[in-house]
Amino acid sequence: MLYFRTIKLGTKSLLLHPMRSLLTVLGIFIGVASVIWLLAIGEGISKEAQRQIEDLGAENIIVRSIKPPDESGGNFRQINAFGVTRNECKLIGNTIQTVKRVLPIRELTQKFAYTGNPNVKPIDGRLVGCTSDYAEVTRLEIERGHFLTTREVELNRPVCVIAARLADKLFPSEDPLNKQIYLPEKKEYFKIVGVLKHRNATAAIGGSLAAQDFSLDIYIPVTTMRVRMTDQETKRAGGSFSSQLFELSQITVQVSNSEDVPKTAELVEATLRQNDPDRQDISVVVPYELLEQAKTTRLMFMMFMGLIAAISLIVGGIGIMNIMLATVTERTREIGIRRALGGKQKDIILQFLVETITLSIVGGITGILMGLLCPIVVDISRWGLEYFAPQLYAGLPEVARVMRPTIVPISIPVAFFISVVVGVFFGLYPAVRAAQLDPIEALRHE
Amino acid sequence: MSQTSTRMAAVIRDLQKHYVLKSETVRALRGVSFDVPEGDYVAIMGPSGSGKSTLLNLLGCLDQPTHGSFLLGDDDVAQMTDDELSTIRASRIGFVFQSYNLIAQLSVVENIEVPLYYMGNLNAKSRKRSIELAKMVGLGERLDHRPTQLSGGQQQRVAIARSLVNDPYFILADEATGNLDSVTTEEILALFQRLNDEGKTIIMVTHEDEVAEHAKRVIRLRDGEIQIDEAVKDRKIFTPQQIQEIAHNADVASRGSE
Repeated sequence: MLYFRTIKLGTKSLLLHPMRSLLTVLGIFIGVASVIWLLAIGEGISKEAQRQIEDLGAENIIVRSIKPPDESGGNFRQINAFGVTRNECKLIGNTIQTVKRVLPIRELTQKFAYTGNPNVKPIDGRLVGCTSDYAEVTRLEIERGHFLTTREVELNRPVCVIAARLADKLFPSEDPLNKQIYLPEKKEYFKIVGVLKHRNATAAIGGSLAAQDFSLDIYIPVTTMRVRMTDQETKRAGGSFSSQLFELSQITVQVSNSEDVPKTAELVEATLRQNDPDRQDISVVVPYELLEQAKTTRLMFMMFMGLIAAISLIVGGIGIMNIMLATVTERTREIGIRRALGGKQKDIILQFLVETITLSIVGGITGILMGLLCPIVVDISRWGLEYFAPQLYAGLPEVARVMRPTIVPISIPVAFFISVVVGVFFGLYPAVRAAQLDPIEALRHE
Repeated sequence: MSQTSTRMAAVIRDLQKHYVLKSETVRALRGVSFDVPEGDYVAIMGPSGSGKSTLLNLLGCLDQPTHGSFLLGDDDVAQMTDDELSTIRASRIGFVFQSYNLIAQLSVVENIEVPLYYMGNLNAKSRKRSIELAKMVGLGERLDHRPTQLSGGQQQRVAIARSLVNDPYFILADEATGNLDSVTTEEILALFQRLNDEGKTIIMVTHEDEVAEHAKRVIRLRDGEIQIDEAVKDRKIFTPQQIQEIAHNADVASRGSE
């Protein structure tokens, strides 16, 4: 009853100056909302990063071939082979015990065309030579048909599996299955045996490669690729030729047990560098390590975000304190009256604390509501940006476009708790000051 | 002074109050002694600097004496802590101030309840009592009005109702009519007399002789000491008819102002 009365009184006093109370609440509101927002966005980004890394496979070790800087100076008669070789691929598979399997992968950028529909222009995409294990190891999922089979790989069959977006583009109105895809640069046809499901890009591998986008891929047996296209890749660009000689662009080493990953990675690296410790044409990437790294980064990121949010809450709290100090001065007379009529010091403290806590709780609750709107607001602003400024939107980093803010559940009670603490902490000083006023002086105050 | 059979509302013995200002000590009260029997109606007078306000603060338990004793019932106020003083103010003293000192956020009836609130005695019964008091001072139809919606005389009547709500040892009125015109002053004084006739003890601090004339007894202070403590000779007394008439007029006037 008495507490109810105190709260009622506090609310009445606050409503005496609605604008002032509103602005004060705004400080806490922004603070609390930003706690939830920043944490949600931080969590969303790190989840996305983590997902991208996990897509690479935590039990995988990836060896990429890196094209050395061009030293021949336009002399393409003498072309040096670079990168990881088929022999090395076999060697790793046969000698390292912890390795479950090794996938040879060879990638080329190619134009893809469908001759059955003259309206469809050739599309730039990535031609991936791989084995039947590739889908499982890189977690590609089949929408229709089947992925390359062991038999198709062994027999060098001219078949392929295409990614979803490519399928949509090349076959806007037809069923791609069993159609022939034409590679104009290679003058080769491949029969489509499977179509993949849609899939987001994975993390960038190492520092040197962009995020892997699977959406325009065509997968063919690596054996077929070798037989039909050889290891030399010549490109003509505006009259000049460039040529590369490499056997494989990547091998993915799958380890039986993810705990063995770091050890195996060392062995793989040692195997590849046994002849030349300074070998520059390969790079070994361990997603498992990236994952560990990402977890640390995430923690730091969250702390950083939390810090920013905490600062805004403190600013809000100072706002409350400022207003309450002004209020105490303004209401000195009232304090004097209350003291004269029997209010104890602690009654006065309670009265002013109730007001600040009311302010901060109202700010806290509205802030939480605003915080919960975060995913919706992010979606709306993305949509708005895409609609009104498509170029700007396209320029955004991948992660900003696909990231989904994830409300961290604990952030809600924490934000609420903090707002109450801010109310008490910043309200206490003005309240104590009010209570310590001399009642005689306070009564005389005009 | 008066003896035995009458109970004392307040007993004051050798009350002294010194203020230390920098190096100088101001002796605002230099040993004041008097009794206030229950049912008395005392006017405390004196020029400024006579110690009037200091005495008022001590009587109101807002301050503590440097020396001497001040007995309220069986309690010696001089020995009390801040919290105990607050409790005694809430429970046994009825303040009426010059500038009414109502709380702006609260309605008439809520203002009357404030001392009960601090005593922790708010309940349906106390609400009923507050409403009765509001009716008694002629504001029964304005229970939900805010102080700003009332005239000065009405506000002072609310303050008087508030001073009665905790059944105090005495009503302590500090220049209670100082802000009011002559008609309203008469109205308040008539109310005081009525309350005194009903047995309430009233201590009134004033500098106006016309106001003091309505009291039963006058204490004049000078330089921190009692100069005169005597019964009022030609006390002005409202007849019951006058009291009724004044209350009626006030009622009519307030209705007219609506």
